[in-house]
Amino acid sequence: MKKLTVVISESPGKDPRKRELEANILAALVGQPDVAVSVVPHLYDLNEDHAGALFLRSVNGPLLVLAWLYPRGIHWTLDRLGVKGRVGQTQLKRASDEDDKNDGGKDDKPRLGAANAPARTIWSLDFQDGDTAEAHVQEIIRVAAQVKAAVKLSAAEAVPVAISSPPIQNLKSKIGNPPARRWYPVIDYSRCANCMECVDFCLFGVYGVDDAGRILVESADNCRKGCPACSRVCPENAIVFPMHRTPALAGAPGTKPGDLKLDLSQLFGAPSALDLADKERDAELVKDGREAVGPPKRQPCCDLRPKDALDKLMDALDGERL
Amino acid sequence: MAGELVFMMGNFRAVFPADRRYAANHTWARTESGGAVRFGLSAYAARLLQEVYFLEWSMDAGATVREKDEIGAIESAKANAALYAPMAGIIARFNDAAMADPSIINKDGYGDGWLFEMSGDASGTMDAPAYVAHLEASWAKAQALLKGQLR
Repeated sequence: MKKLTVVISESPGKDPRKRELEANILAALVGQPDVAVSVVPHLYDLNEDHAGALFLRSVNGPLLVLAWLYPRGIHWTLDRLGVKGRVGQTQLKRASDEDDKNDGGKDDKPRLGAANAPARTIWSLDFQDGDTAEAHVQEIIRVAAQVKAAVKLSAAEAVPVAISSPPIQNLKSKIGNPPARRWYPVIDYSRCANCMECVDFCLFGVYGVDDAGRILVESADNCRKGCPACSRVCPENAIVFPMHRTPALAGAPGTKPGDLKLDLSQLFGAPSALDLADKERDAELVKDGREAVGPPKRQPCCDLRPKDALDKLMDALDGERL
Repeated sequence: MAGELVFMMGNFRAVFPADRRYAANHTWARTESGGAVRFGLSAYAARLLQEVYFLEWSMDAGATVREKDEIGAIESAKANAALYAPMAGIIARFNDAAMADPSIINKDGYGDGWLFEMSGDASGTMDAPAYVAHLEASWAKAQALLKGQLR
């Protein structure tokens, strides 16, 4: 029987409320027949050769990961660790999320997409999307039932190829020791258009290009702790800092154009994202004993059309029900 | 009334009374009889926001702020914006009426729909003609920014 592998990624700190939620979910899942549950330290801090990462890579069937990160942050952190699959739809939503639309590319521009992603599905659940263990457990059981039903449907061609690997350790023991805290970007390849702005912008050598010409986070640990500047210059909002305190930079859902209201903060005196990015980068350069480079010469972001077309904008705003 | 100036936002006539001064972040400023400087949103800001239905301040009255410090947030049916201090000084009081019913900002933005009063040096603000010149100079950029978000 094909089981859903559930991996609980622990909170990086020692917040007793978080630990209690983790423990309650674990306790409820251990008795479930269609679920095999394991625990790893905070997913984001795992190196590729950490025992927890090795375990995650050994799972080749349906996988559900529960972590203290936004689902998009979880999915692309896993992708970076070589744990790849299709995005599974989940039904747990934070109360403040007004929509659950897929927020991929906003136009017909070609996106890189995940490299070598197998056909299996990975569900990502954010601990913060449910206040109670019950809410999470219910959702996990729903997904497990879905997995079980899908297996039955394809039973006719039942060659046991993609069966999930058996749990390689005692259920309740955590895989590997907590690693040191890390800070680095992960790329959302469903959004990335391979424009190379990030390679040009980052002066710490975090980004690189693979043999096929795809952008990648080559030297993650060159990244400067706390600095999210490259994420701000990314035109596709494809760079996620899963641990950043600003939801939009940490991969929060619901940033599809048209779903959002206009943000007028910049008109009302806020520094622009690009100005902020330049300042943040300069601060890190100075800390590193190097010289600040200031803002680069950028192309203007939008070509301005003839004035009569512009004048229609304010009237068009009236028609928009944003 | 010392007259008023007009700036066309597309087909919308934004009106700016000349009896007060304006800050670059689209607030008007007028020194009250007690010496406090009263601030409110200019017709330009109100037009961009349209129907305001939520207003909050991230500090209590009496707080000392630097120019451009974030002091609160405003939300309308169409837009969100953080609000920033138009000058350095002390925020003496907020307009309770606008807190209770922010729609007053649209109805009477130059009168009862004021936002807050500050003590401090308001000499960095502009007179109405200078503000309209500022709007003219920055209008294309403002539209590009809006259009970028609507795209």
